[in-house]
Amino acid sequence: MEQPIVKLHNVTKKIGKRTIIDRLTLDLPLGEVFGFLGPNGSGKTTTIRMMVGLMSLTDGEITIGGHSITKEYEKAIRHVGAIVENPEMYKYLSGYDNLIHYARMIPGITEHRVHEVVKLVGLEGRIRDKVRTYSLGMRQRLGVAQAILHKPQLLILDEPTNGLDPAGIRELRDYLRLLSKEEGIAVFVSSHLLSEMELMCDRVAIIQNGKLIDVRTIRGEHAAKASNRVVIEIDQPQAAINVLQAAGLAGELEGTNAIAVEADRESTAAINASLVAAGIKVYGIRAQVKTLEDQFLEVTGGERIG
Amino acid sequence: MGNFLPLIQNENMKIYRRPRTWVMVGILVLLVLTISILWLIFGERSNTSMWDVAFMESSILFLLVTIFTVVIAAGGVAEEFTSGTIKLLLIRPWSRSKILLSKYISIMIFALLLAIILFGSTLLVNWICFGINAGPDAETTFVGMDGGNPFSYMLKYYGLTLVSLVVTVTLAFMLSTIFRSSGLAIGFALFLLLGVNSFVGLIAMLDYTWIDYLLFIHLNLTQYLDGNPMREGMTLGYSLTVLGVYYVVFIALTWYIFNKRDVAS
Ligand SMILES: Nc1ncnc2c1ncn2[C@@H]1O[C@H](COP(=O)(O)OP(=O)(O)OP(=O)(O)O)[C@@H](O)[C@H]1O
Ligand SMILES: [Mg+2]
Repeated sequence: MEQPIVKLHNVTKKIGKRTIIDRLTLDLPLGEVFGFLGPNGSGKTTTIRMMVGLMSLTDGEITIGGHSITKEYEKAIRHVGAIVENPEMYKYLSGYDNLIHYARMIPGITEHRVHEVVKLVGLEGRIRDKVRTYSLGMRQRLGVAQAILHKPQLLILDEPTNGLDPAGIRELRDYLRLLSKEEGIAVFVSSHLLSEMELMCDRVAIIQNGKLIDVRTIRGEHAAKASNRVVIEIDQPQAAINVLQAAGLAGELEGTNAIAVEADRESTAAINASLVAAGIKVYGIRAQVKTLEDQFLEVTGGERIG
Repeated sequence: MGNFLPLIQNENMKIYRRPRTWVMVGILVLLVLTISILWLIFGERSNTSMWDVAFMESSILFLLVTIFTVVIAAGGVAEEFTSGTIKLLLIRPWSRSKILLSKYISIMIFALLLAIILFGSTLLVNWICFGINAGPDAETTFVGMDGGNPFSYMLKYYGLTLVSLVVTVTLAFMLSTIFRSSGLAIGFALFLLLGVNSFVGLIAMLDYTWIDYLLFIHLNLTQYLDGNPMREGMTLGYSLTVLGVYYVVFIALTWYIFNKRDVAS
């Protein structure tokens, strides 16, 4: 694996007496879309604010491209593009002038590049209009445009799909994957929409109450195989579990008249046959594929905010 | 890093692309016109000197220049916070100090621009109304006893008021940074400016030494033009020193707070 472009080491944020982020350690390599998943109020935005230098760190260190975000801010942020929470722009300026505004702050961004980005996010038709007149999704697109204007090496997007229509979400997803694979940049996306993360990310970190709970690989060789849990509806669950036990399978009770067991296609048929042979009535069989959502709820315990 | 000018260009864009800025300029010029025309209609034209009208208008309307600039200065930092645009503004390869400096400079340019517009429009309008064919009795009366050149007197007047303007606007800019609310900054700055100013004459009469160090005793520098300072023994140099100390404190506080603050809006 390449040298990580972003390193978070023991990052801690306290506001007053509350610990909002608790010793967070993460490495992000180039060429990967990294998801940052957590329920509301878990500290995603706070972490991102610290990564882009909007908030100070109570403890720990963040380096981007080898530069400390606190000590060498200008160097560290040079190759970062970001949206933090909602992409608020100057409403009294046109979308185009907003982009020019940000383009001026980094040397080497040509007008041609601005037009290119406008086209990429699909805002050609409305770019000369005042941002005041934009819809939420259009503002989000403009937000993405300002973030990629200077071809950053690290793209940080805080809930970028918020407000986008399905086509927009799809485009963004494809584009982010393209950026990471073709241009080799690191993309860091936060979200609480799990299904979306599954489609978009290579790896996902799960955060809860400011603590990193788990990092999971979604794509690639290390990706966890989707488990093949099969739920079988029957009339005598306990007897069925005994039958399975005899066959060396660990079945468990699922509700009052169903059992669940790990099984692939072939063994499902075999299990069915042996259950019927033992005189147990089988009413239904369905495969239960565990989604990241289930895993997520499992890990976070489906806990309420706070 | 890089060239600083584009940052000022950006801040200028944010000031001059807003209609309110041009409304302010319009109001200023319109008031100059109105006063001169009213004077033309109701006053006695033959013995009115253009300098008298120009000076009268300047001394009244400079207050408006101050108010308008305070409004812009108060919005400078606060509006970036209330609109949330501060986040995208700060995550660029520029230190916070430089971003703040670009804002400050553009506001100072605006203050200067308004002052120049006022100066220019009073001279032009009154030259047209009263100057071109001034009556034989027209005599400039405001210059006081020394009978000097009215133009250089006006320049001195503008110079001194500009110094106070810079201090006042810096105060508003500081309040904007501290409160992150333009309303509060405008209210507070104008309250100090107008509210306290009406008591300043009274306060000046009190016989305590600490009054010598109050900002408001020194904000009206034109008191030295006619040679009768508000408090006995005060000189222009002394007032400038006190203002200078305040100025440095305002600037230091503003930059310190802006650099330290967590942006969590
Ligand atoms: N300025 C602040 N002062 C005090 N507490 C704060 C501040 N900002 C955030 N918090 C707290 O920090 C925690 C994390 O907030 P954060 O905005 O990072 O959550 P999030 O993961 O982005 O949530 P969401 O999914 O709703 O966007 C919350 O409990 C919040 O109340
Ligand atoms: Mg958030």
